[in-house]
Amino acid sequence: MNRRLLSLLLVLALALPVGMSVTSAQDEFDWRKHEGTTLRLLLNQHPYQQALVGELAKFTELTGIQTEYDVIPEQNYFDKVTIDLSAGDASTYDVFMTGAYMIWQYAPAGWMEPLEPYINDPAKTNPDYDFEDILPDLRNSEMWNLIPGRENLGQGSQYALPWGWEANALMYRTDLLEELGLGVPKSLDELVSTAKALKDANPEMAGIAVRGSLNWATIHPGFMTMYASSGCVDYDEEMRPAMNSECAVEVTEKWAQMVRESGPEAWTTYTWYQCGSDFGAGKAAMLFDADILGYFQNQPGTAPEGVLGNIAWAPGPLGPDGSLRTNIWIWSLAMNAGSKHKDAAWYFLQWATGKDFLTTAAVDYTFVNPVRQSIWDNPDFQARLAEQTDYYETFQIISANDMKIQFTPQPLFFETTTEWAGALQDIYAGADAKTRLDELAENLTFMLEDAGILD
Amino acid sequence: METKVINKRAGRIIADVLMVAYFLFALFPIFWMVLMSLKSTDELFTTQFVFKPTLDNYHAILFGDPRAAAGVVAKQEFPRNFMNSVIISSGSVIVSLIVGVPAAYALARYNFKAKENLAFTFLSFRFAPELVVIIPLSVIYRKLGLYDTYYGIIWVLQLITLPLLIWVLRSYFEDVSPEIEQAAMVDGYPWWRIFFRILLPLVRPGLAAASLLAFVFAWNTFMFPLILGASQVQTVTVSALGYVSSAQAFFNRMAAASVIASFPQMIVALSIQRYLIRGLSFGAVKG
Repeated sequence: MNRRLLSLLLVLALALPVGMSVTSAQDEFDWRKHEGTTLRLLLNQHPYQQALVGELAKFTELTGIQTEYDVIPEQNYFDKVTIDLSAGDASTYDVFMTGAYMIWQYAPAGWMEPLEPYINDPAKTNPDYDFEDILPDLRNSEMWNLIPGRENLGQGSQYALPWGWEANALMYRTDLLEELGLGVPKSLDELVSTAKALKDANPEMAGIAVRGSLNWATIHPGFMTMYASSGCVDYDEEMRPAMNSECAVEVTEKWAQMVRESGPEAWTTYTWYQCGSDFGAGKAAMLFDADILGYFQNQPGTAPEGVLGNIAWAPGPLGPDGSLRTNIWIWSLAMNAGSKHKDAAWYFLQWATGKDFLTTAAVDYTFVNPVRQSIWDNPDFQARLAEQTDYYETFQIISANDMKIQFTPQPLFFETTTEWAGALQDIYAGADAKTRLDELAENLTFMLEDAGILD
Repeated sequence: METKVINKRAGRIIADVLMVAYFLFALFPIFWMVLMSLKSTDELFTTQFVFKPTLDNYHAILFGDPRAAAGVVAKQEFPRNFMNSVIISSGSVIVSLIVGVPAAYALARYNFKAKENLAFTFLSFRFAPELVVIIPLSVIYRKLGLYDTYYGIIWVLQLITLPLLIWVLRSYFEDVSPEIEQAAMVDGYPWWRIFFRILLPLVRPGLAAASLLAFVFAWNTFMFPLILGASQVQTVTVSALGYVSSAQAFFNRMAAASVIASFPQMIVALSIQRYLIRGLSFGAVKG
């Protein structure tokens, strides 16, 4: 009995200092542990990057870590990232900006450092980091166990940290809708008819601007949101392409009809830039794309008279059963697995995705949308959003519903989704939707089989 | 006889009209670029023709955007990128001239083993698209520390400029009759004086044309500076894309940057125009 008590005391005596040392480490997190290290950052030219560059001196001041950064225009940014990461140990950059979809290509190749060992290590992560404050839908969209299939997203390792994000929403000109006495479209049918009514009333502008170029990025904004809300999926449980399901054919047909009747003239060349510029210049009455695209357009000095202040946001139209499943794009920060300064790179990552920087970026720069709940709750940020009609309300509705990456994670995402955009273009040009989508599913099946994703 | 003259004249008029039509067609993109560079952003997308010329775009790219502080668009580093382009393009041409002129001469004059193979190897640098070699090159460059340096980019651009220079100049050297050199030798000139005083002036049109082309190709190259260079050596071709950013597409500034970026090529072309006459050496030797 005595011996047992003694051993218990002994264990306690041993454990106590350990416990105390952990708490003291938390109390005095050593920000200057990696002083003198130089990190290289690869950044995409973007308002987020501008906020970062504007505040970088503060990071060096806090940590003593020097930074060098390269900013590459967006059109060729990912070429640069892919080639640098593929150099492995010889690669140049420690930290890079990435999208969430890129994880599906980079992580299986072993180019991305899994971050949960850092996040969960109190010796490496400052106690104020509050990872849980980052919206769970965003965090989970960047976790993957490297296995293709929808149920695998949100499992496995955290390959990137959400930094800023875009929800795909419907933006419209309040004045034009009011003139015609039309309400905000609540279903795909209403979207098609409203776009047509707007086009008929304003023949010099498009009823709706959506992307249409031969690129994966054509599928992911409005189209994927409408597609998912309608209850369609891209792949079934066995990873068989499902772009030719009854649901998919119906949505695709209506989408193509909408673009033919009321879309922009050179639709097959339309990317983010054309859609945004058209809407911002008053050449399109609605825009179904990233919410922040409308935000950037609705700024004094950017938007012409008549457009400024007449833009409002709404969630995408609902599916037949009333569902709203918004697809999102997440600009993120990730660590190069080939980096030689991983612990210092983690210091940078936790600073750049931490509350202090992101709050400053959201309030003083154009860092929308913030990934942290605490920033959405911040009154200064809300005051900024107040100038954008229904922006905050739209975010609340979207995030209360199913908001995530609606695609199925798989390494061939970019190739297969570009094929999908090609099919959409053909259907727009008059090909029979069912036949063309059957052909697409067949091609994709072949591609997936060839890559060993599908048996 | 009369109708023949009329026909001839009509033919000439038609040819002239076609020439003018082609001239307009060829110049239209340049006209459009200049026009766009003088437009303000809100006039860019209007279909009615409203045109109040403004130099704002030039101001913005040369001296920075007054709104940059508000985070609307990054401060442009156009002047620096422009100088990078100048350094890289002229550097590439100079290196190619130093290496390429003797090489072209040797290939034209001397017979040695595997001569044609060697010449073909030079030409073959131009066969493969840049993308084929870019990944291994980027790994090598990073290991050698050539990534993001002027030396690195100038070196890799030899793939573009050197074959061009060698092959164009080789045919010029072949046109120069060996008797000219022999005559000079008889007069007691050492080989290097023959080369510099007699041969080079004779191939000057070729030298001018090849250098100009090499300069233009080096100036326009995109993939190599994009992948093998970064902030330190970013050229105009890469940075011009930056005017179209997520927040706003400044096609007008991109146009202004392109207008300025086309000046060096025009200046080089105009200043060496008088050498661009082939056949200077024809008839120098009567046989």
